[in-house]
Amino acid sequence: MSFVRKWVSVLVASVVGIVVLLGSLLRANAWLVGARDVLVDWAIIVAGFALLLGILNVLSVHGGRVVRVRKEWGYSLALLISAAGLALVTAVQGPSAGSTQMLVDVVIVPVGAALAALVLFVLVGAVSRMLRVRRDATSLLFVFVVAIVLLGSTPLVDWEWLAQPPRDWIVNVLSLAGMRGLLLGVALGTVITALRALLLGDWPHER
Amino acid sequence: MGLDPNMIEAVLWLGVSALVLLVLLVARGREGVRSAETRQLSAFRDLRRVVGESAEKGGAIHIALGGGGIAGEDAMVSLAGFQLLEALAADLVSYHIPTIISVGDPTLLPLAQDVLRRAYEMRGLPDSYDPNQVRFVAPSPVAYAAGAAQFLESEDVVASVIIGAFGAEVSLIMEAASRRGISQVAAAAAPQAVGVLYPATEHLAIGEQLFAAGAQTSGLRRYVTSLEVQDVLRLVLIAAIPVSALVTYLRGSV
Repeated sequence: MSFVRKWVSVLVASVVGIVVLLGSLLRANAWLVGARDVLVDWAIIVAGFALLLGILNVLSVHGGRVVRVRKEWGYSLALLISAAGLALVTAVQGPSAGSTQMLVDVVIVPVGAALAALVLFVLVGAVSRMLRVRRDATSLLFVFVVAIVLLGSTPLVDWEWLAQPPRDWIVNVLSLAGMRGLLLGVALGTVITALRALLLGDWPHER
Repeated sequence: MGLDPNMIEAVLWLGVSALVLLVLLVARGREGVRSAETRQLSAFRDLRRVVGESAEKGGAIHIALGGGGIAGEDAMVSLAGFQLLEALAADLVSYHIPTIISVGDPTLLPLAQDVLRRAYEMRGLPDSYDPNQVRFVAPSPVAYAAGAAQFLESEDVVASVIIGAFGAEVSLIMEAASRRGISQVAAAAAPQAVGVLYPATEHLAIGEQLFAAGAQTSGLRRYVTSLEVQDVLRLVLIAAIPVSALVTYLRGSV
């Protein structure tokens, strides 16, 4: 029975995947494109339910921490109160109301931007730590390149000629070539993994 | 009569698919385990050691699977992360290592829970499975990274494994791990993530190396064969680049 169930699910997943793939490749075929659109819409609906599961998971994890008074339970309590407050405002006022949008614009967006701005400082800290732990040729080259790119990106009045040309060459030639190579390799790995998933039903839940 | 470019694209795709499928089907007939002799990556080679250290120290291990949803363009990167998780889950359960798996996309949540649940069932410990070991943090990449970094602080984590779809925000997890001296193993496909992970750990799989995770950690024949196919096609691709550049150059000069 489990054998039949397994292969039925593999068959359904594979057929759906192949229809979506063909619908994306053969754009002149209206039937395939239509079928692809319908299946993608269904996937979006399923993803919506997954978000609901995710929210329940957040509540369960942080609720558990508060109830058991685990380490740093105060943060979890703050999260639960914030989530409940935002949900209440959204339920009463609606998702596109001014007060709901204000909470997003005043709290969520600035906090996200502040965290994103930390990335540069974190990177500089990581580089200094790397120099203490790993002092090999590749590490030094990494630091040298980072220094040139940072200097070349800094507005040095009247001194741009010094760091900007090597910076431009590194970014537009070396970095771009490396990035393209990296992305080609990723594309290759993606195609092979996708084929295994699509045609052989090689998904985690199928094993 | 000119052919539709879409048709040509499709034929090419299907041709490559058929080739790869053929190789995979032949391999699938002989399930089993064998070593991935094609290449050894330090990131995955040392993973068992990192798990062993976690068991000795009695601390938890954190596995960050990133924010690549199963219905999005990063689905295959996330799938590679699941291959690693499946390979590790058995050891984690056997050694009773507390495990925290964080996901940044809700579609990864049930899949990760399923992998972990099956690992517990296979070891005869279904009652020990706790679905809250897998945690959805936030759908936004930066919020996810900040939340996952918090787990390293609050859950006595002694090892961190990062594999999946990440951007530069992964540096927040990396920084939290470095500050606490936690062992780190990472595999990332995006150049932004690779750039920030490089100074943090020597155990880093870059770009397409991420797709070697299943073969390197489990040794399952289907993964090893898949990796071999990937390596062959990679060589073909490498050969094709200078050839196409030469052809383009010659056409331009005629």
